[in-house]
Amino acid sequence: MIRLTIDGKTTEVERGTTLLHAARFLDIKIPTLCYHPLIKPFAACRLCVVEVKRSWGMELVPSCHVACQEGMEVSTGSSHVLAARRLVLELMLARWPNVPILRKYAAELGLEKPRFASPLRDEREDACILCGLCVRACDEVVGASAISFAERGIGRRVATPFNLESESCIACGACALVCPTSYIKFEAEDHRGKPPEFLLDPNTAIYMPTAQAVPKVPSIDRDSCIHFQTGGCQKCVEVCEPGAVNHKMVDEEIEVEVGQVLVAIGYDTFDPTPMAQYAYGRLDNVYTGLEVERMLNSTGPTGGRVLLKNGKPPRAVGIVHCVGSRDENYHRYCSRVCCMYALKFAHVVKERSGAEIYNFYIDMRAFGKGYEEFYSRVLNEGANVIRGKVAEVVQAGWSKQKEGALLLRCEDTLIGRFREIPVDMVILCNAIEPRRDAEQVGRLFGLSRSPDGFFLERHPKLDPVATMTDGIFVAGCAQGPKDIPDVVAQACAAAARMMATISKGEVEIDPVRAEVMEEYCSGCRVCSALCPYSAISYVAERKVSQVNSALCKGCGTCVAACPSGAMTGYGFTDRQINAELEGVLAV
Amino acid sequence: MPHRMHLMVCAGTGCVANRSPEVRDALVTEIAKRGLENEIQVVTTGCNGFCGAGPLMVVQPDGIFYQQLSPKDVPHLVEEHFLKGRPVQKLMYVPPETRTPLPKMMDIPFFSRQRLIALRNRGLIDPERIEEYIARDGYAALAKALSQMTPQQILEEVKISGLRGRGGAGFPTGAKWEHVLKAEGEPKYVICNGDEGDPGAFMDRSIVESDPHSVIEGMLIGARAIGARWGVVYIRNEYPLAVQRLMIALEQAREYGLLGDNILDTGFDFDISVSRGAGAFVCGEATALVSAVEGRPGEPRARPPRLAQHGLWGKPTCLNNVETWADVPPIINNGGAWYAQIGTEKSKGTKVFSLVGKINNTGLVEVPMGITLREIIYDIGGGVPGGKKFKAVQTGGPSGGCIPNELIDLPIDFESLAEAGSMMGSGGMVIMDEDTCMVDVARYFLAFTQDESCGKCAPCREGTQLMLDILTRITDGHGTMEDLDALEEVAKVVAETSLCGLGTSAPNPVLTTMRYFRDEYLAHIGAHKCPAHVCRQLNTYRIDPAICVERGHGCGVCRRECPEKAIFGEKNQAHRVDATLCNKCGTCVDVCHFNAVIVE
Repeated sequence: MIRLTIDGKTTEVERGTTLLHAARFLDIKIPTLCYHPLIKPFAACRLCVVEVKRSWGMELVPSCHVACQEGMEVSTGSSHVLAARRLVLELMLARWPNVPILRKYAAELGLEKPRFASPLRDEREDACILCGLCVRACDEVVGASAISFAERGIGRRVATPFNLESESCIACGACALVCPTSYIKFEAEDHRGKPPEFLLDPNTAIYMPTAQAVPKVPSIDRDSCIHFQTGGCQKCVEVCEPGAVNHKMVDEEIEVEVGQVLVAIGYDTFDPTPMAQYAYGRLDNVYTGLEVERMLNSTGPTGGRVLLKNGKPPRAVGIVHCVGSRDENYHRYCSRVCCMYALKFAHVVKERSGAEIYNFYIDMRAFGKGYEEFYSRVLNEGANVIRGKVAEVVQAGWSKQKEGALLLRCEDTLIGRFREIPVDMVILCNAIEPRRDAEQVGRLFGLSRSPDGFFLERHPKLDPVATMTDGIFVAGCAQGPKDIPDVVAQACAAAARMMATISKGEVEIDPVRAEVMEEYCSGCRVCSALCPYSAISYVAERKVSQVNSALCKGCGTCVAACPSGAMTGYGFTDRQINAELEGVLAV
Repeated sequence: MPHRMHLMVCAGTGCVANRSPEVRDALVTEIAKRGLENEIQVVTTGCNGFCGAGPLMVVQPDGIFYQQLSPKDVPHLVEEHFLKGRPVQKLMYVPPETRTPLPKMMDIPFFSRQRLIALRNRGLIDPERIEEYIARDGYAALAKALSQMTPQQILEEVKISGLRGRGGAGFPTGAKWEHVLKAEGEPKYVICNGDEGDPGAFMDRSIVESDPHSVIEGMLIGARAIGARWGVVYIRNEYPLAVQRLMIALEQAREYGLLGDNILDTGFDFDISVSRGAGAFVCGEATALVSAVEGRPGEPRARPPRLAQHGLWGKPTCLNNVETWADVPPIINNGGAWYAQIGTEKSKGTKVFSLVGKINNTGLVEVPMGITLREIIYDIGGGVPGGKKFKAVQTGGPSGGCIPNELIDLPIDFESLAEAGSMMGSGGMVIMDEDTCMVDVARYFLAFTQDESCGKCAPCREGTQLMLDILTRITDGHGTMEDLDALEEVAKVVAETSLCGLGTSAPNPVLTTMRYFRDEYLAHIGAHKCPAHVCRQLNTYRIDPAICVERGHGCGVCRRECPEKAIFGEKNQAHRVDATLCNKCGTCVDVCHFNAVIVE
């Protein structure tokens, strides 16, 4: 620690602390222009000069650069210091009379009327005052060195090489960030008011994934982060007091030993592109349910407003139920949630945009608690419901007025007529379908799947969360389409089943099980392919199959199939049965 | 068979510009024609320093000095002197006072009053031949330093000598070396600063041109003392001859095993590379120079850390000026105590000055510290030409100050010059006579520093520009008393707050001229007159009718040349200037052959 006196106050600072830091620690204000806490001192603006007592007299030194020394006597506000600062500021004001930060310091120093006028007078408020912060940020922090000072003396200016667009610039915006006069501006190109997430522009390297992210922790985007491009920067590490930023984190595989697994891999939504009649992806303003959900989100791209692609609110919106479900060409099953979320859209879109709403349904499945009441309410709000499948979505016409408008062709089965409904926006309530990797997951856990691709439970009524494999449970849409209350209920049930096993502490298994007589096993693996419980594994070292007795149900499939007769039922070998028979017959 | 006579023809830049190579070629041909080639050898040497009188030749062993030679003098010279043994008087130096030719070089005060240490080999050796340097005890100091002395002893010797940096600031060389020696970090570097940017200064150029090995040897000894493996010579690219001779010298030193690995079989390794400057004055500042050597813009940085701690590539670096390095070998050879005998209490040894401006003997002089300005200007320099009055001397280059006539008996050393408001600088001395306007001088030097400011720190960049504006206003006759006050205020703050030596010393010409010649400023502002008639915008032009008619017969050249058509008159009649049309350009003065135009 070093002791020194600043303006008569004695203080102790760590070795290497600059006078500026020490003074700021004591709440002493010192004006600075070329100083930034995250960039090395430059000592060029000379506005931060202070007086230091030396053996030969008082010396003016730049406080941003000079380190504290034992026994130093520093004066930051003597008339000598203030006069020097005033004059330096006056010199700069002669050239940039309107720059706010210079005027602010001028007011603080009591410099009312600058006397001088430079021949290079620049009246702009956002003139470059040559502090060099941008150049140093680009060089030291970013490591791109895309800008530098060009020319010398009074002609000095900040420039890119040869004044051309610099290839070294990574458009990080650090220069604009540190610029004290906003001379350097960072402008995204004009995208007619489109929200940033719809653009491919560079974004900040550290961002919150979504507004309601869980856990609420920012992420680093490797592609935008300067550190991952240049190896430098790491200013976030410097400023993060708890030291939570870690650039060395990588994806890792963790092995956890568990006794039970709950498979809740969720669902995918049906991609309506193959249903060419609905023109999804072909015509503007045709959206899927999830896309509209994002649009309605208050942190979403439109801030929760319902807007067409041209930025205007729609006048009429068509909501198509059963897109991909209850359809012989795609999924025969009912996705169960679409009717209700379609009604929710009808309610919310009408409320937010005032548009006319048309719901096209086959059957209205308002099966849950309070659902029917909600249906009635939406009807009372004036939503039109038309019973009938939509035949096709087409462009309304080519005239200027109809530009962008859509036409929905359908059969209204209640009145038995074909209808054409003009709308501005179409919402396709697409189906829920099994996860695209459900097959691999099923194979991994030995789960059977129903014909529609969802995981099969052990028993639809008596055991709806367990599977044929002991210790593996399913819940949620992985088992079949269902809405949130049902998912929660099923998940709770599965959790309870698993807890029951855990609290018991041990697993009872049937005595009836298969066993491999290794001396006969040829390692052909016919058994393991057939085992419905995934109980047979292959031991590569010994080239034999092995039965996991905890999983085996003793069904005997493998025993019957084994070509070499190596697989036998435990306690039911041929010899034992023969002996039993002999014993019975001997009587 | 040794030659009976050596003709030492100067091939310094000054003499080369005055066609000394042609003189040498003429000599060689003429001597061959007379069949004397086995008796007389022609040697091209480095700068003799008496540049104003070039091309020069010294005939050895007699030491007969010839000046202002031209190829057509050669046949007569060879015939008379070398064949018949009668030195040619009309080619000798004639002092203005006595008008009797002085045949011997050592009789000429310009030479006899000097004491040569840094320039010890000037005019005596061919700088492109290492053998000649070695014959004059060259590299003996290196041999001594490597074989008989420890690095600590070398350091002690330099400390005892009291040698101070010749580049301007006068930092004690021994102390600097000690800092580098003690600094942590490997490798260490030595740098030779040959970026001599001051207008009118050419001592470094002359040393490198006439004796490049002395610099190399100095650097070798310095490197040994501080433990460096690599050296860099930063030299201006505007010195092509110096660069060329330095390159030759380095190559020869390598051939002789004086550079490279295992020098003189002592296990000491050292080599030097050359970095050529692109012509920025500020690169003479040590940190800016290092930045330029590293390939970055030549801009100074704030100190500390000093170069001794954080120099080239962030490593401890010992940077000295050309002249300082050249002073090192004699110190090692003769001992520090020998060197310390010369000079004053605080400034030891000798210093090379370039004597330019309004002086009879323009050239390079090496004199002991403590010599008075009067001795330099009158005894060595031969006084002011044309019988004009001496007015002031500007020392230390563009950032030095002007010392007036009253201080002519000032003994020159680092301290006395600083006290007078000027500085030693690299040793430039610009002599000014009564025809010099001091305001214009201040403006001239400030225009130089303003142009050469790198622009990094605000006071230097904006302040030099503002001071130049004010001075231009004053010399144009638009200055006010407020301007004068502002000028002084700005000059003081710029000197105090600037980042590097360029900015802190740039106001020196302004401050010293305001201190010693305030009346001239007042004349410009109050009476709108330039006492020396230099500032043309303050002059009025009048044609003396009598002279115009009697001598010039109304020749009309002024009328024809006047760009504003402000002169009227008929042939054979007196011309006159119409003051309302005159733009005071002064063309009429320049063109009149009869001095009929009177400036008032």
